[in-house]
Amino acid sequence: MTIEPAIALAMRDIAKRYGATCALRSADLTLQAGRVHALLGENGAGKSTLVKIIVGAVKPDSGSVSLAGKPVAFRSVAEAIAAGIVPIYQHLSLFPELSVLDNLSAFQLAAGRAGLSRKALVPREEARAWLARVGLDLDLDRPVSSLSLGERQLLEIARGVGRNCRILVLDEPTAALNGAEADRLFAVVRDLCAGGTAVLFISHKFDEIERLADEVTVLRDGATVIDAAPIGRHDRATLVKAMLGMQVEHEHRSGSARAEAVLTAAGVRMATGHALDLSVHAGEIVGLAGLVGSGALAIAATMAGAASGQGEIAVGEQRFALGDRREAVRLGVAYVPADRHAEGLFPPVSAIGNASASALSRFSARGLLGKTRERAAIEPLLRRLHLHPARPDAEAASFSGGNQQKLLIARCLALPNLRALVLLEPTRGVDVAARALIHRAVIEMASNGIAVLVASSDLDELTALCDRYLVVRDGMIAEDLPGSASTEAIMAALAGKAAA
Amino acid sequence: MSSFPIGDRGPSSMPASQRPPVILIVTALLFGLAALAVPRFGTLGNIENVLRIAAILGIVACGQAIVVILAGIEFSFGASAALASVVIVMALPTTGVVGAFLLGSLLILGVGMVNGLLVARFSVPPVIATLGMLMIASGLAAWLAGGLPIDAPPSDAFSFPARGRVLGIPVPILCAAAAFAVLHLLLAKTRLGRGWYLVGANATAARLAGLSVPRLVFSGYAVAGLFCALGAVILTSRVASGQPMLAPNLPFETIAACAVGGLPLGGGRGNVLQVACGVLIVAMLNNIVVLLNLPTAYQLILLGTLVIGAVLLQRDWAFLGNAVRLLTNGRRG
Repeated sequence: MTIEPAIALAMRDIAKRYGATCALRSADLTLQAGRVHALLGENGAGKSTLVKIIVGAVKPDSGSVSLAGKPVAFRSVAEAIAAGIVPIYQHLSLFPELSVLDNLSAFQLAAGRAGLSRKALVPREEARAWLARVGLDLDLDRPVSSLSLGERQLLEIARGVGRNCRILVLDEPTAALNGAEADRLFAVVRDLCAGGTAVLFISHKFDEIERLADEVTVLRDGATVIDAAPIGRHDRATLVKAMLGMQVEHEHRSGSARAEAVLTAAGVRMATGHALDLSVHAGEIVGLAGLVGSGALAIAATMAGAASGQGEIAVGEQRFALGDRREAVRLGVAYVPADRHAEGLFPPVSAIGNASASALSRFSARGLLGKTRERAAIEPLLRRLHLHPARPDAEAASFSGGNQQKLLIARCLALPNLRALVLLEPTRGVDVAARALIHRAVIEMASNGIAVLVASSDLDELTALCDRYLVVRDGMIAEDLPGSASTEAIMAALAGKAAA
Repeated sequence: MSSFPIGDRGPSSMPASQRPPVILIVTALLFGLAALAVPRFGTLGNIENVLRIAAILGIVACGQAIVVILAGIEFSFGASAALASVVIVMALPTTGVVGAFLLGSLLILGVGMVNGLLVARFSVPPVIATLGMLMIASGLAAWLAGGLPIDAPPSDAFSFPARGRVLGIPVPILCAAAAFAVLHLLLAKTRLGRGWYLVGANATAARLAGLSVPRLVFSGYAVAGLFCALGAVILTSRVASGQPMLAPNLPFETIAACAVGGLPLGGGRGNVLQVACGVLIVAMLNNIVVLLNLPTAYQLILLGTLVIGAVLLQRDWAFLGNAVRLLTNGRRG
């Protein structure tokens, strides 16, 4: 308390309601100039709402926000940007068809009136200087669509910091980046900090937070539970506990695999043209490991009848044709697609309706739907997965990402004669608590004799769950590693080096 | 045994389902305002008249609602009703009244099935498929009738669907009540209805959840055709003739009723109460235009404004809802 570093942003007792839902009740956040501040919280804790308030997209119901000591109340994102708050989202907001220079000038164009004259563009020299600040050296006339994801993210930062940037908001910036790209991003962030910028860093990855952040604030249920603690004061377990308000046991795996093959592809030809031979046994969790673009997801989708091709998949003694998802469901093959929004969720339908979608036959007789039976069967599943908020009749769109994912898991659990479970990226973009609950549900299903196939680009997830790893390279299963394989061995196999 | 812990006990978090639905309040307000401000609106005779208009509109809107919930849209209702009226009157001498009505109904069911087939099996966008069928049915009706209305020989049996009464209640109003009951049963109580919601909400997710999307889409358009068929029988009976231009605004009025009732045209949502209120609003507005001696062309202008306005309002429906609730329920804190 003796030395007072410059406070860049102070938010006190922020509250925000959306209809009946209280997104924030009492949130505090203090960002200091030249420091990286991590914001932690499970999905639904209010992180997104807090960020929306910072960047001027949402107005708080009560509480105070001050920027460098002066109270502010932004009426729009443009006002916040003008005040030096630069948001960088996980879904990039660049214009892929336009050039690097056009994109760098986007804020200028937005600020000016309609005239789209070339004068509105940032001078080329200045643009190059902006790029240099984030360590980019690009042809200014290149279309952004030709840049890598990492380059695009840096370009977006360059656009923001080129002007006055007092506060940089990074919302899960590394979600789509590879290791080297993330390293580069972190170096740039460090550099900006050295120049006095305050950085708000939102991430689910503890490794990154420990590497990059100076302080951490934890939100739970719309309130700040840890306020600007220096990194290192609390260990991970304490932080997780603060996020959840309870202790999560680390999921523990005791092999429950049996001899009986449940889900089998033999001599199948996938839509990609590759042959596929694969068998998952009862009680076994098999992980499909592959780098992005390796084809691991396509293999998993094929096994669930979600992708077309030639041949049949055997479920025990019975068979379904590739691409016949309906028959696959009838035979008890549950499926969680990789893209929750495009392929999984029914946003305007209730949580119960989402969870029961594959199991309607269970609740209906002669075409009539037994809603009482439906409710009686689905509610316990939602409770078991700790659906939050616990509103089974609320529409799916109103839940956070992690809780929407729980609805898809519940849909699998509800299947009347569940025999096999195929999961694609089951916890992508999901917070620690939901992830733990989903993993627990998957392990529980396996110990009940369900055959489980998981495709994930998250190696931690696979090592936490799997009895066996199938490493996918170039659209084909290249290696079959036992559950005892080390992370290093799997990574070597992923990269295509001969396994030691 | 314990019930799901829903945090809805406090008044602050009362779920929307326990409050009086906004659309009901809007409908009642419109009725009240019209009764006060429009001469002759509130008379018993006029109210029966409004209900008669609303009955035919409502029966057909039940079909439209199914298609809208499926994230589709039906433009061919008016034209297929016109075609049916011509066929009914032409068939009358050979098939008798019941046979003719049955034939006309089957025809509309057929049009609905073709639409369903085009959308479900051949992935033709609903707008294109149903607009195409509108033109085909219109053309067929004009060709069959030779361009002019054909009068039906007057008979009690023929005029029963439009002018008959059972227990003193006009038959069209009874039919509409039955149609709404059936729609409610379909949407809320059957597996088929649940499937329509799921397909309308996200067709890809529905396929991956194991639902037969083509079958559900096809059945939706077919059932919609059945509702339209009932409406067409009553219409034909009312005008006592086969008219190639019988009800050109029918698809637009039913779409307006759905939109005004609050069904998102993007699909996946909507209930019977919303459809019924939307129908009443459209019928009352049409009636008000007539009572105020405004040119009937105003009806169409009003209708268009209503559809666009309703879609715009749906985004800020919550805002409107809060305003209305404040007006009608100001006591509550």
